[in-house]
Amino acid sequence: MRVVGGVTLVALAAGLVMAFGVAPREMTQGNVQRIMYLHVPSVWVAYLAFAVVLVASIVYLARGLEGADRLAHASAEVGVLFTGLTIATGSIWGKPTWGTWWTWDARLTSVSILFVMYLGYLLLRGMIEDPDQGARYAAVLGIVAAFNIPLVHFSVYWWRTLHQPPSLMKPGPGTMPGVIVAALMVNFVAFSLLYVYFVAKRVRLLRREAEAAA
Amino acid sequence: MPDNWNFVLAAYGLAAVVLVAYWRRLVRRERALPGQSRSTARRP
Repeated sequence: MRVVGGVTLVALAAGLVMAFGVAPREMTQGNVQRIMYLHVPSVWVAYLAFAVVLVASIVYLARGLEGADRLAHASAEVGVLFTGLTIATGSIWGKPTWGTWWTWDARLTSVSILFVMYLGYLLLRGMIEDPDQGARYAAVLGIVAAFNIPLVHFSVYWWRTLHQPPSLMKPGPGTMPGVIVAALMVNFVAFSLLYVYFVAKRVRLLRREAEAAA
Repeated sequence: MPDNWNFVLAAYGLAAVVLVAYWRRLVRRERALPGQSRSTARRP
């Protein structure tokens, strides 16, 4: 665990160097565009976390493995954390570029629904006293809520939004300069490692708490 | 367009505070488990 933590710290430091020292100042937005190196990897981790919740929930319902349930629980918690960060950093970025902290456009609304659904997932787990029943209900919600992920991602294509369409994770050739893509990729790796570290730590904590309660 | 460094600092500062707070919460809960607490008593 310490090794993963150490590698994650190094990767996060490299991500900061890439975002502030290597990536150029963007011509239209200026330096405020550097928030992208935090905002986009955050939403990537949120997507990853909720995809893991989906798979682990299916495995739990099919096989009844407690480990799968713990993984889903841990991943949902970390996913909510990063969705919250995505919303907050997007809002901070939106003020100087769009002139508003918030607008109810399709992307912002759908990501808010995603946030509330997984917050509900965590609340549901805390509300039901029987752990097996709570795990089953949470697994069903974890599967249903995952259908919102494509809605969030494609909302910028399906509706007219203030939010720009994705520059990465889209069909067709990329339009971003290589150095910006490289800075983004380093931060994708760093945030993915942070996700792995947090989830591993949270799964271990859930296992030890269950052992202590038994 | 002006650089708006204060917005950049706010975003990165907020992220740092939130992520460190979550990490500390995990560490604290782990230490609070039975058999995990670190004794501060001095040994003779």
